[in-house]
Parts: sequence; structure tokens; C-alpha cells
Amino acid sequence: MRSISLFFRSVVQSLVIICFFGINTLMAQDATEGAALFQKNCKSCHALDRKMTGPALKGVNERREEAWLLKWIKNAPAMIASGDPTAVQLYNENNKMLMTPMPMLTEGNILSILAYIKTEGEKPLAAAATSSAAGAAAVTSSDGGINTYMIIGLIAVILIALFIILALNRVIATLEKLLIDGPDAELELLEVQTESSGLSNFNHLVKNKKFIFFTIILSVIFLSAVGLKGMWNTGVHQGYQPVQPIKFSHQLHAGLNQINCQYCHSGAFKSKNASIPSLNVCMNCHNYVQATEKYNGEISPEIQKIYTALDYDPKTSQYGANQRPVEWIRIHNLPDLAYFNHSQHVSVAGIECQKCHGPIETMAEVYQYSPLTMKWCINCHKETEVNHKDNAYYDDLIAAHEKLKKGDKITASLLGGIECGKCHY
Amino acid sequence: MESNKKYWKGIEELQKTPDFVGSNKNEFAESLPIEEVLSDAGLSSVTPRRDFLKALGFGLGAVTLAACQPTPVHKSIPYLVKPEEIVPGIPNYYASSHNGQSILVKTREGRPIKIEGNPNGIFGNHGTAPNTQASVLDLYDVSKLKGPKLNQSNTSWKALDAFVQGELNKVQASGKKLRIVSSSISSPSTKAVIADFIAQFPAAKLVQVDPVSYTGIIKANENSFGKAGLPRYRFDNADVIVSFGADFLGTWIASQEFTRQYVSNRNGASLKNKKMSRHIQFETGMSLTGTNADSRIPVKPSEEGVAILALYSAITGIALAGVSLSENVIADKAIKLAAKELLNAKGRALVVSGSNDVSVQTIVNAINSFLGSYGSTIDLDNPVTLYSGNDSEFAEFISEMNRGEVGAVFFLNSNPAYEYFSNKLFVDGLNKVSLKVSFADREDETAALCNVIAPNHNYLESWGDESVISGLYTIVQPTINPVHDTRQAEQSLLTWSANSVQDYYQYVKNNWERNILPGAGKTWKQLLQTGFVYSGEMPSASYAFNQSITAVVQTVVNQSKAVAKDVEVQLYQNAAILDGKHANNAFLQELPDPVSKVTWDNFAAIAPKYAEKIGVTEFDLVEIKGANGYTVTLPVLFQPGQAQGTISIAVGYGRTKVGKAGDGVGKNAYPFASMVNGTLQFNTSATITKTGGSYELAQTQTHHSYEGRNIIRETTFNSYLKDPHSGSGNHGTEHKTYDLWNERPITGHNWVMAIDLNACTGCGSCIVACNVENNIPVVGREEVLKRREMHWLRIDRYYSFNEGSESYTEEKEISELEDLDNVSVVHQPMLCQHCEHAPCETVCPVLATVHSSDGLNHMAYNRCVGTRYCANNCPYKVRRFNWFNYWNDSRFDNYMNNEFTQLVLNPDVTVRSRGVMEKCSMCIQRIQAGKLEAKMEKRTLKDGDIKMACQQACSAGAIIFGDMNDPESEVSKALGNERTYYVLEELNVQPGIGYQVKVRNTVEA
Repeated sequence: MRSISLFFRSVVQSLVIICFFGINTLMAQDATEGAALFQKNCKSCHALDRKMTGPALKGVNERREEAWLLKWIKNAPAMIASGDPTAVQLYNENNKMLMTPMPMLTEGNILSILAYIKTEGEKPLAAAATSSAAGAAAVTSSDGGINTYMIIGLIAVILIALFIILALNRVIATLEKLLIDGPDAELELLEVQTESSGLSNFNHLVKNKKFIFFTIILSVIFLSAVGLKGMWNTGVHQGYQPVQPIKFSHQLHAGLNQINCQYCHSGAFKSKNASIPSLNVCMNCHNYVQATEKYNGEISPEIQKIYTALDYDPKTSQYGANQRPVEWIRIHNLPDLAYFNHSQHVSVAGIECQKCHGPIETMAEVYQYSPLTMKWCINCHKETEVNHKDNAYYDDLIAAHEKLKKGDKITASLLGGIECGKCHY
Repeated sequence: MESNKKYWKGIEELQKTPDFVGSNKNEFAESLPIEEVLSDAGLSSVTPRRDFLKALGFGLGAVTLAACQPTPVHKSIPYLVKPEEIVPGIPNYYASSHNGQSILVKTREGRPIKIEGNPNGIFGNHGTAPNTQASVLDLYDVSKLKGPKLNQSNTSWKALDAFVQGELNKVQASGKKLRIVSSSISSPSTKAVIADFIAQFPAAKLVQVDPVSYTGIIKANENSFGKAGLPRYRFDNADVIVSFGADFLGTWIASQEFTRQYVSNRNGASLKNKKMSRHIQFETGMSLTGTNADSRIPVKPSEEGVAILALYSAITGIALAGVSLSENVIADKAIKLAAKELLNAKGRALVVSGSNDVSVQTIVNAINSFLGSYGSTIDLDNPVTLYSGNDSEFAEFISEMNRGEVGAVFFLNSNPAYEYFSNKLFVDGLNKVSLKVSFADREDETAALCNVIAPNHNYLESWGDESVISGLYTIVQPTINPVHDTRQAEQSLLTWSANSVQDYYQYVKNNWERNILPGAGKTWKQLLQTGFVYSGEMPSASYAFNQSITAVVQTVVNQSKAVAKDVEVQLYQNAAILDGKHANNAFLQELPDPVSKVTWDNFAAIAPKYAEKIGVTEFDLVEIKGANGYTVTLPVLFQPGQAQGTISIAVGYGRTKVGKAGDGVGKNAYPFASMVNGTLQFNTSATITKTGGSYELAQTQTHHSYEGRNIIRETTFNSYLKDPHSGSGNHGTEHKTYDLWNERPITGHNWVMAIDLNACTGCGSCIVACNVENNIPVVGREEVLKRREMHWLRIDRYYSFNEGSESYTEEKEISELEDLDNVSVVHQPMLCQHCEHAPCETVCPVLATVHSSDGLNHMAYNRCVGTRYCANNCPYKVRRFNWFNYWNDSRFDNYMNNEFTQLVLNPDVTVRSRGVMEKCSMCIQRIQAGKLEAKMEKRTLKDGDIKMACQQACSAGAIIFGDMNDPESEVSKALGNERTYYVLEELNVQPGIGYQVKVRNTVEA
């Protein structure tokens, strides 16, 4: 019996403790949940300490009543329409920009956001600034090492080979002497050697026919290998990685932040050009994402380049007149004689960007991943099956072909995908 | 039954001149520089081998160096703020209008690159005129002014406005007159702006004048029916058409609309219904319309009026005194025949005349009234307002100037210093005017005499509107920001007249929203999308002519006598250059004249027999002196079908200040014109003298020889009715075929084309459309002479005699000839036939031209090494070799090598390099785009989704493209037609393009 009562007690105790902690965490969660919600829903238009599209939110808890706020955040346009004086005034103060209604937020959600704003607003400013110069430094390059290592290694190998050749040569010479002149010569040889200086050593080497033969053979092989590779790859710029005017990192945007490729390269869906995004697309995020926390409260110098190009004033949120386009360096250059259409490959065939552009989400600086040679195109067209499912366009074509090729897979080339005129016109 | 008719492309082929035979026997027809290299001097010199080695060494070195070059840096510059509607790589289409026809302007990344007819358009159907197609090049013309000019020096718009306003006030204070001289204005908003301007300056007046005038018709209609205006002719309602010198398929009034109407009674659909109109043409020089006529009778300009009188008397039975065609027996008989046919088709007959004489047109009105044409084939209640120029008003304006009464003059789209026949009168008068403003986009002949040039926008940069037939209003909207610092003329007028609405866009919008849109029930935005509003036509009433024509008859007879001399000159427009306003358009200059196939020149067209009589041969230079003393020296061209004792000269040439391409091309023929009874007359008597010396004209016709093979097939309408297969030889029996290759069925699409020779009028619009779509270089006169023109699509013109069993019997009396006066003509568009067994493919040593699985003959430029074997082995002679880098060679400064005009290039088509063969690709970029669109929308490809550039431009609908594997497609049906034949099918190359036999509605016994 005792054991049972003990058991119950412990259960009750633990329950009490759990409840206690639960309530505690629940209260703390208010602010953390609020933080998450704020990030998701509010941040694109609001900051705490400065005016963006919408006003700065610090102290909003004091400025407005909670009931008003709840109503406002749920459906601001309705409040403006209803003629609420504060709402109308706000609307007029903020360039007549309507605040997006947030019907998906529950009352609890909104309260959490307000709690977050309250706690965050009370924090002193300094804290934000202290973090992060280090972080920025850490991001800087750790790339490009492989190439130099390889070169150093190659040189080392060549040096070692040379050394071995020299040593072998020496051995051969000695053996020769020994074989031809008999053992007596050994002493003589040693004497000569001790007398000889570096220069005579070299002269000796130059006169050595076998050494010369080896050297010539090696250099011919080496040079022809280099020559062949060079000529074969004329016009192939695989690995091309120019320095871009803005240090834009796909690793950060596509990798870390998981932004969909087609958010920026919207043309890839519908046009032949994937197109480099115009700066107004950058500004969709970067009018508030300024990475100030990494630069002591200053706007990131790379983001500043966008602002400069657009002549954008973060204080007034206005584009100026003195705009200057960004001159990116094109990495993937197909010759003019080849027609390539992104939408055919992305939308119709459903090919991943990575198939041609490589692990773009890991590239801090983009380089040309594929060779972009015709052989490379053709190989893929020969192997890739046509994405004809649920596409009525292909129905007749496939039906006609299945009569011919029973059971074979329908590749792009089977439907004429490697004919000259499909890409060259 | 195959025709045994003999066809010939030109007189040189008919007469087998040594030059022609020689060049035909050559392996390569075009002249090769080999002779120069292999000449004695070239071979005997000491250096060739060394030079060769030097070049070899240098070449090797250069290639090595080039290969060492690091990755070339290509800049890629995105928009800063991308306009929402633009997606790089996808074209945008804007609805606009040109010459009153609703069009679509295709733009890529903000620059217009192609004009297409608006498929829903009311006027001109879906086709477009050659000059509409070419007009996109004018936008980028480098000869245009880059900004305003004041007293011959560059200035700012502000300074110019201040000057003009100051001068205007002075003129108004002085009480002198203001005149706005313009070519016909069909824009309601422009008219309103000018009305506002006149309200501000009451001494102002608008004078409309056209270089090629229709005042005669307008006045005649006013006199006869009280309806001043150009009627809307309805060729589609006419069973019998008799035309006296009206080139209604080429240049007369609204030729593209007329082409559509005319062909609707002669095309495949009409023949199926056993219906075909009959067309008789009386004319001096061979016109595009004349080449299409069922019967064509050459008459002198002096006989034209008399012939119309004779027709009147033959129809009405009223004998007219002094009217006799006794000197032209053939015409006399033909008139009687025509009268009979017209009377038989009463109510469905139409007589038109190209004359600008009020009296002649009055007689024509009387004839049409008698035939009951009004309300049926002529619609007076829905006038066409394309031309409303008034010759006498302009003459009055010139005398006002000369009397010193005019204080200010504005020239809007008008260039009298070039176009007016009396340059001296005009210039003398203009010198007495203090404020002379030109709105010309370039410093043309008139603008150079003005003290202010306020360059106007191109229509592709402008806001505006047009209304050329009643009830139809089309919008002109800008498709690009102004290329240069120009300003729209209407905007300038608004500024100078201090109008309450200062922005012309707002002005147009207000005008539409107030006057036009409410009636149509459309909003401004809807209008910008559809491009036009059409409220339907008014009911067309019948009109009767009941006036005395005695006086008129006398005038006509007297005028004919005045012109009748040994040599008579007739001025005409050709379908490419027209009145010469767009003479700086390289596409138009290189478009061969539909009849003579001459490029880059005008000439004196003379009948061969007459030339023999006066002792001149072809290309001899002759001096022609008009009745008014104007003299011009031109090369002679032998024109079969030209009336004896006449010379035809095209106007629109000989411009001196139009720009790089058009300056000094040909000679100006306008000064031969004269004012007679208040209207401008385009014929004169003349004398002709040989000057010695000769000048070869750059003709394209005989450049590609078929060695006399039978490639044209035609039949008569009667034979067709008896046996629809007549002429085509298409009785289901196939040629015996031997295949070198395994049979290979085409499973997917099978792209083919059908061309109806009976619909094609030969206007050449397709050629220009093809040039613009496919980045085809313009090579210039010198290169055309060397047979190096680059056109992928050409229209071959074949002559044949009217003789043999297939020809006329009753009319045989008329044409008891084997002479060159009475010839019939067939036009045949010729382009790559995309043969299944293509001879070009088998001879290519590098497999640069190969067959595709969808029935096309592909040409991979980057693979071609330029052996030209393919061109040699092509039986159709449709392959073109790039002799130069036209896009980067200062010798060919036509359009491709210039940073402005380059903007017109189609980014989806490669610009070919030197040393590469090219040919019609069947607009493969359009096929690919059409397929992609279907794939993206996950639907099957519909017939008509893909249209060729040539097909789209054809007002006659003569070209049909589509999928042969789709039995329901239009092209399958067309090729299944009994009239279908394949050119040179006996060679078993299995062409992908089928032609339909030409049918002539000739009268048989």
C-alpha cells in the first residue's frame, strides 16, 4: 500500500512540477513565439527602431490600446474603410499604403507578437551591435585553395621525378664505368667526382645522351598533353568564375535561406532567358534586410551597392533619379549560333536547375559548372526521357513512336531533339 | 493535260542572248572573282607561293593567339526596375495602326522588331503591304534628325518654341496668312488639333496635298452625286472588272484591301463554287494589276480617255461624236467585248479608272451608274478617307506664297520641294515666307529650305488615331520611347497654339472618350488592347447619274488630242517605293519591282518593238524631254506588254535628301507632271533621244535559271470547270519513283506549305516580311548585279504568249500576235521546297544541311564551310551564299552594320557570317515557339497556331502552312485540291511545298 501511495505522491509532485514549468515556459514562450511570428509576418514592412514601409513599432503597446491593435492587425483595410480616425490618420501618414490584413493570426498570436515587441523594445540598443563583426569575418573566403594545392603538388612531383632521374643517371653512369672499366675505375671516378665543381657536373649532364633523350621525351609528352588539352577545350570555360560587381552569394540566398531559384530568376519558367533579376526584385527583401547586425548598425556594403545603383534613400524609401545599372559579368555564355530556351527545359521537361548549373546552393561565388559543349547537350538529349506525362502535346507523338519502338524509352533525341535545326537557326 | 505553253522569265531568255546563255552554262551563275586571281598577271607574278605561305603562317599564328584568349567578358545588365509587362525573351504585342490598317507591333525588350496585321482587323484583312512590313526599319533610320533645328543649326526644344511662338505672333500681327500643308490626314485627333490651332490663329488654313492625287475622283463624285470623297470599291461584289490604268492590286487607293476582295472571287474556295471573276485591264505600262488580269490590252495614255468614252457609247448605245479608237484596232474590239460582258453582269460589274481627270472620272461614273454598280460594287456612303488631297487648293497656296501673302507655313508629312512638279514655283514662293516650319523626321528637300525643323516622331513612337473608312477608328500607340530627341508634330502644334490640353496623349484620350468610345461601348483600356473600334458600315444606297455629258466628252477628247504625240510618257508608282516618302528604306529599295524585277533604280520602260523602231537597245541611256521642258536621262528597259510609242517611268526615285540608302537612287519623274483643269496629270508627251552610253539595271529575275523546265502550270476557267485536274496533271497517277534511300515515314509533325498561284498577285509583301523576320541582309545594287541578293523568298515572274490551243479564240483576233505586246504573266513565289529527297543534302561534304524528322530541311550555319555544292545541286535555286559579313562591313552600309538599325534584328534568328550558305528555314523559330507554347500549356498543337512570316503578310491568303499529318489542317485540304502540283516533281525530290495551278478566266468561242 505504501508503495502505491508513494507512487501517487511522486506522480502528483511531478505533475505539479511539470505544470509549474509549463506555465513558466508558456509565459516565456509568449515572447519567443511572438518573435517567430514577427519574423514571418511583420518584418517585411516593420522594424522596431525605424520607419520602413510601415511605422516603427517600438512602444506601440503604450501608444495604442490593446483592443484597437487586435482589430487593426486582423484587418487594417476594413478599419480604414470604416473611418476609424486613428486608422485613417495612420493610413495618411504612411504614404497611403494599406497594411495587409492578417486573418490567419489568432488573438493569442497577436498578443504574443505584442509581447515580443514589448520585451524587445525595452532592451537597450547596444546589444544588437556587439554581436557580429566576427561573424562577417568568418564568412570571408576559404575557397580557391584546391587549385593552388594541386599546382604545388604537381611541381613537387615533377621535382621529385627530376631528382630520381638524376640519381638514376648517376647510378647508370657508375655502373657503366664499373662494367666497362672494371673495378679499378671506381677509385678514379671517386677522385674525379670529388674534384668536380657544380658547373662541370652540369656540363657532364648536358653531354649525357640518355639524360637528354629522357628530357626531350618527357617534355614532348608534357607539351603535347598540355597542347591537346588546351586546343580541345578552346572556347570551353568550365569553371569560369569571374569577380562580380556585387558579392552576391547563392550559398546564402539559395542555400541557407532556401529562396526558390525562380523567385529571382523568374524568366526560367516562361522565357528563353532565365534572366538576372532586376534590382526591384532584390528590393522586395532588401528594403528591410540590411544586415545591419553584422556591420555595427551600418547597412551592409554589398546591400548598399543595390541602394547606390537605384539611388535609393533608406530614410525616405524613395528611388532617386541618379540610377546606374549593375553590370554583371555573364558566366554561362552559349555562342550566338545556339538557341537555348530555359522554359522548355525547366517548365516542360521539369529539369532541376542543378542539373546544368551544379550545386548552386553551395556556391558563394558562382562558377560555370558544366562545360556547355555541344557534346554535353547531345549526351543529355540522348539519355533524358521526355517528360510527356500529363502533357497532351506529346500524346500523338508518343503514340506514333510507340508503334515503332516498343518498350524503348522515349528520349529527347527520339523526338528529333538532336537535329541541327532544333537549336541552330 | 499538261500545258505546252512556253514560259520565259525575261526577254534575254526568250531571245537566248549570249550573256544569258553564257551565265547559264556556268557552274556558278554569280560572277566569281576567280578570273582576277587566275589571270595572267596573277599567275606570272613571282609571289603567289610565298604569299600563300605567309598567309598560312599568319593564319596559324592568329588562330593560335585567338585560342589563347581568356574567356571573353560579356556584360549582362538587368533592368533596374523592370516594367511589369516585360519578360526578357518573350515578345510583347501592341495594337496600333499604319495607313489606317489595324496592325500588331511585335516588340522584344522594348524595341519594335516586326509588324503583323491585326488578325481581327476590319480593313485590309490580316495581310500587310510591303511598305507596312518595312516601316519598322524607318524607326531606326540613322538619317533621321537627332533633335530640333533652328536656322540650320541644332537647338533645344525650348529655344525653338520661343522662336516659333515669337514669329507666330509677329505673323498674326502683320495680318498675313498661315498655312499648314499636309498630306492627307485621316486622323480625327490630328484634325482636331489643327482645328484648335486654326481657332487660335484664324488666318491659318489646312491645305492637304498628295504627291499621287485622287482629286479627280473626289471632284467627279461631287459633281455627279454631290458626294465628295473616294468611294469604297467592292471588288468582292464584282463579277466583271474593267480597269483603265488603275493599279488597284499594287498602288491604287487601298491596294491590300482590294487584293483581299479581288482574290476572294478567284481563290480556291471560289473556284470550288465554280465561280471566278473576270478582269480586263486597259493600261499603258505593265502594272502589277495588269499582270493579274485575264485580258490585258495596251493603250496609250492619250487613248485611255477615248477608250472609256468608247466603252460608254458601247454600253449605252449612244454614239458620241469624235470618239474613235480607229488607231488601236485591238483596243477597239476589246472595248466592244468588254461592254458585252459588263452588260451581261449588270449589277455585278465594276469599271475603275486610274485617271486623275475629273472629266474622265465623270464618264466612269456614268458607266457605273448605267451598270447599276452603285450600291453593289461601289459604295458611296462609306467613303474611304485615305486620300483627300486637293490639287487646286495646293496650286492656290503656291500662288498665295508667290504673291507674298503667306507669313508662316508648316509642312506636315509633305515634301513639295521634291514631289511638286514645279520646283521653281514652289521654292520662289517659299522664299517669300518668313516662318517656314517642317515637321519632317529628316532634313529632306523641303525641310532644308525651312528655317525651323521640328522633327516628328515615327508612328511607332507616337500617340494617334486614324479613320480611313467610315465607322472604323484605329488607335496608334507608342511601342518604344522616342529613339532621338524628337517631338510629335501634334504636340508641337498644341504647344505653339497654347492649347488648354498640353499633352497630346491626353488630347487623344479626351477626344476618344468624348466622341468615339461612348458610341462603341468600349473603354480606353479595351481600345488599347483591341486596337480599333468598328461601328459597322452605313447602308449603301444606289445612285443614278443623270447629267449631260456632252461638255465632258468634249474635254476628254480635247485633252487626249493634246497628249497624243509620237512619244507619250506615263508616270506610275511601283509597289515597293510608291510615292518615294520611304525611299530611304533599304528593304523597299531592294525589293524587286513586281513586274520588271528591277531593284535600286527607276528606268524608262519601252516596248521592245518600239525600241527597235527608234534604234535603242536595253540599258541604253536615253534622254527624255517632257512637254514642259523637263529633261531626264534614264536607262531603257524592255517591257513586254508596254503600249507602243509610250514610256513608263516610276515616280518616287531620284531623291536627294532622304538619307544614305535612298539618295541618288534613280531619277525624279515628278516634274513631268502637269496641272490640267485643276488636277494633277501624270502623263505628258515627250521626245526621246539616245545619249550614248549604257547603264545596267540590277534585275533579279533571270538570276536563277531552270534551264527551260516546265515549272508553271496554268489552265483556263472553262477547262477547269470541265476538269478540275486540267493543267495540274494531277490525276492521281504518280510519277514512277526510284528511291535511293530507305523509306522513312514522318511520324510526328510534317510541316508543309501550299501556295495558290491563282491567289498570289506578286506584290512582294511576303519578301519584305521574310527579310524582317529572318535578319536577311540588304546587299545593295552592285551586289544584286553580281547575282548575290540574299532574299530567301523570291517571286518569279513568267511571261508567256497568248497563243496555242490553250489560249483565246475569240480574242485571238485581238491578239493575233506572237509579238511582245500581248503577253500574260504568272507570279510564282519560290522558296526552299524542303524536299524529302533533297539533292542539297547529299552533296554537302560536312553534313551542314540535313533532313529533320518533321519534314524540314535544316541548315546548320556553324557547320557550313561554304563549298556551295548544295546551291549548285538545288533544282529550285533557292540557296543563298553569304559573300560578306554584312553585319560588320562598312561597304554594305544598309542596315545591319549600324548600331541603331541593328536594333531591328530578330534576336531569335542567327545573323549569318561570311562564307556560309543560307536559305528558307520555314521560319523554324516560329515553329519551335509555337510548339513550346503548346507544351507549356499542355495541349495539342492546333492548326493555325504557327504562321509563317510570309503567310502572315499575304493579303491574298495565297500561302498556307501547316501539318500534313493532320488530315483536318487547312494545308492538308489545300494540297488535296485537284489543282495541286509540285514544281519539278518529275525529279522525285518530293518537295514539301505544293502549288496550285493558275486559272485564267479567258473567253472562248
